[in-house]
Amino acid sequence: MRRAVVTGTATVAGIVLLLSLKPHDGPGNSTVAKVISSGTSPSAAASAPSSPSTATGSGSSPAAAPSPSASAASRVVTGNAIDTRYGPVQVRVTLDSGKITKVDVLQYPAESHRDREINTYALPELNQEALAAQNARIDAVSGATYTSDGYTRSLQSALDQAGLT
Amino acid sequence: MISLIRRSLPSVALAAIGVGAAGVLALWWRDTPAIRGAAGWLTGAGQITGLLAGYAAPVLLLLMARIPLLERELGADRLARWHARGGRWMVGLVLAHLLTITWGYALTDGRGLLAEGVRLVFDYPEMLKATLGTLLLLGVGAVSAAAARRRLSYELWYYLHLATYLAVALAFGHQLANGAQLGDGPGRALWYLLYLGTAALLGWYRLLVPFRHDRRHRLRVAEIRPEGPGVVSVFLTGRRLDELHAEAGQFFRLQFQTPGLRWAANPYSLSAPPHPDFLRFTVKSLGSHSAALARLPLGTRVLAEGPYGAFTARRLTTDRTTPGLPARTAAAPARVPAMAGAGLPGSGPYAPLPVRGRRRGGPPVLLLGAGVGITPLRALFETLPGEVTLVQRARRPEDVLFRAELAAVATARGARVHELLGSRAEVGDLGRALARLVPGLARHEVFLCGPDALTAEAVRSLRAAGVRRIHHESFSF
Amino acid sequence: MTEPPVFRHAEPVMGTVFSFAIRRPGDTPGLGDVLRAVLARLHRIDEVFSTYRPDSQISRLERAELTLAQCDPEVAEVLARCREVAAETDGWFTDRPAGRLDPSGWVKGWAVEEASRALAAAGWTDHSVTGGGDVQTSGGPWRIGIAHPLRPGTLLTVLTGHDFAVATSGTAERGPHILDPHTGRPATGLASLTLTGRRLSRTDAWATAAFAMGPSRALAWAATRPGTEALAVLPDGTTRHTPGLSAYLAPGQH
Repeated sequence: MRRAVVTGTATVAGIVLLLSLKPHDGPGNSTVAKVISSGTSPSAAASAPSSPSTATGSGSSPAAAPSPSASAASRVVTGNAIDTRYGPVQVRVTLDSGKITKVDVLQYPAESHRDREINTYALPELNQEALAAQNARIDAVSGATYTSDGYTRSLQSALDQAGLT
Repeated sequence: MISLIRRSLPSVALAAIGVGAAGVLALWWRDTPAIRGAAGWLTGAGQITGLLAGYAAPVLLLLMARIPLLERELGADRLARWHARGGRWMVGLVLAHLLTITWGYALTDGRGLLAEGVRLVFDYPEMLKATLGTLLLLGVGAVSAAAARRRLSYELWYYLHLATYLAVALAFGHQLANGAQLGDGPGRALWYLLYLGTAALLGWYRLLVPFRHDRRHRLRVAEIRPEGPGVVSVFLTGRRLDELHAEAGQFFRLQFQTPGLRWAANPYSLSAPPHPDFLRFTVKSLGSHSAALARLPLGTRVLAEGPYGAFTARRLTTDRTTPGLPARTAAAPARVPAMAGAGLPGSGPYAPLPVRGRRRGGPPVLLLGAGVGITPLRALFETLPGEVTLVQRARRPEDVLFRAELAAVATARGARVHELLGSRAEVGDLGRALARLVPGLARHEVFLCGPDALTAEAVRSLRAAGVRRIHHESFSF
Repeated sequence: MTEPPVFRHAEPVMGTVFSFAIRRPGDTPGLGDVLRAVLARLHRIDEVFSTYRPDSQISRLERAELTLAQCDPEVAEVLARCREVAAETDGWFTDRPAGRLDPSGWVKGWAVEEASRALAAAGWTDHSVTGGGDVQTSGGPWRIGIAHPLRPGTLLTVLTGHDFAVATSGTAERGPHILDPHTGRPATGLASLTLTGRRLSRTDAWATAAFAMGPSRALAWAATRPGTEALAVLPDGTTRHTPGLSAYLAPGQH
């Protein structure tokens, strides 16, 4: 009996140790860029990762650099990897003359059944109709889905970074 | 040097198991970038416990696969002990795994524990089988717990225990389908190797080898001879028995091919030195299984695995300065011309006896046994060279086995045999009692065999009496 | 067509991201300070009202570690507003879903509205603030896309207007979590419901309540609210809306 207690305790201690040695911020630690204004590339300023359980953002000061929008020929802007509870989601947007022509989802958890299960309610698949949204030149998106946590945020962040009107 | 390596083999084996476990944990380490939140901690713990349990299962099965190298070097009793302890640890891991994974997933998905559990079982691949396997495993675990086990006959416990094979097979699929670290790459390959390798070894040593043995040696029950109240000797005959290379002190696992006994491969010690024409085993009817042996039809086929056991003359210390007989030669049974006429010999001795008197090099030997432990000692008594004394410990005179045989052997070879009768209270300190019977006790090399309680006490008091070399084999498997 | 440049900022808080789009003709003196103050307020609201934090005032109030009098005055105000909305919605809105104190149905929209109010007070009157999928605009015109609840990644439609708020409630978020307060069981009649109105706090709370009402009742009830329009998506994908919604739709849109 005593041996069982010792091995049990040792096992638990070992597992806790192993878990504690890993970093506790996710990959693509969601640093949301403070967008300056349209036309400039994103400047990364640190802010804390967001998750429902520890919802703090450290608001650093926004830098207001007012340069008028220069619509470059073709640009690729990568939204930040937004840390959802299921894993990082990241979107990349290609712009031609200020209009989104292509949206790629760079990161989403998809490997196991578990990931796919989570995806069914956490991550949408992008398709051309999303581009139609941009062609409609929206300013913001209202939605009830959890995608607002993952996808929409990422798309929003891409929009934010591109400084699109 | 060789003996040093051989003595450290148990540690080497344990170290190898540990290295394997570390490798499995490395898989997890490599695959996990970060732990996020309480759900992350729980799911991580669930993955770790799952990986360790999935690794432990084939390892535990391998311990019982009757691999000759392991049986020889580690001994069946040690293997059984490791298996039992490891099995308990594994059941704990499985329970922890269940709980932490369900809880971790539940937190992530925002569901209640029960709802998440139901979803896990019914919606995830391979999980129905895994659940069934887990229930089987936990059932076996519960049944094996000491408290329950006391109430079950050995046979029933044994058959239930076989369900673990099924449990492991059922749970294999879900590890590959859902284990995040086993999805592809080295993890998956490793898992296949581990499980398929174990299955192959099990098939080879537990099914194929006995089958080939049977084809080759054709062991059959030749005679069931009552030796005393509740005691019978079983004589097996067959072909090419000398090719088995059995030695006195060893045991076989025998599967009697008769309804009710077919699947149990229980261990039986040779109760006489192996003879070219027969093998003798002596059994006390302890459970319904042993009692059934007394009623075995003659000619029953017997599947045998073995011989096993390191409780043999090879353990004897030889004085290296004196060119004495190498232990091997001393223990090999000489070729005896087959008995003329039908039938098996009467009671022993069966083999030509060793030379009278002192063996060149090496201390005198004391064989100390009780209960069913006297069986291998009876075989050793006939063949161990040198000065040998046998002491049989029993509560009452009627509990003594082989009285006449032992006396005959003792007379024939000039050895001594004693009986130490009485309850523990009456006998008192075992070491002191023995010292009275056996002059120069401390100089003796002791071979000890009997129930665990006796062996533990004996080792203690023998050491207290100054005995340095004690060999014993546990019979509690 | 040249439009005034838009200053954008995104801030993770309250478990989601708040996006700011502020139109300004030229330089933005002082915008940094204003924004800093607004963000601080949002974080403060989170500290007080988050049900995910065991040490927030709401959580401690729920556990009776604090009395209402000991909390920030805003807490009493928020709870009072919740009661009002409950009355307005015949109990379909509640600040005690499943028995636990949780005014998030009000707090979410109210926080966005507070941010918008602060910006306007500082002189930045042409802006849109989005938080948790709900939008409060000031000035305009602002074009707000509505995410399709059944086809993620696509838009259902685009609503355009001035000085209006858009709030959407739905089931895609963590499964059916909006409970019918009368039966205690999840409301499943709608895939999503979008309400427009003047101020987001009420619009958002009403959207939550109306969602629980189910398709027929929701639109009928929304129609009784002046200044409020509704757009509903049923689980099979069909859409229904109040007649007044066409004011927000561009010509040619359905």
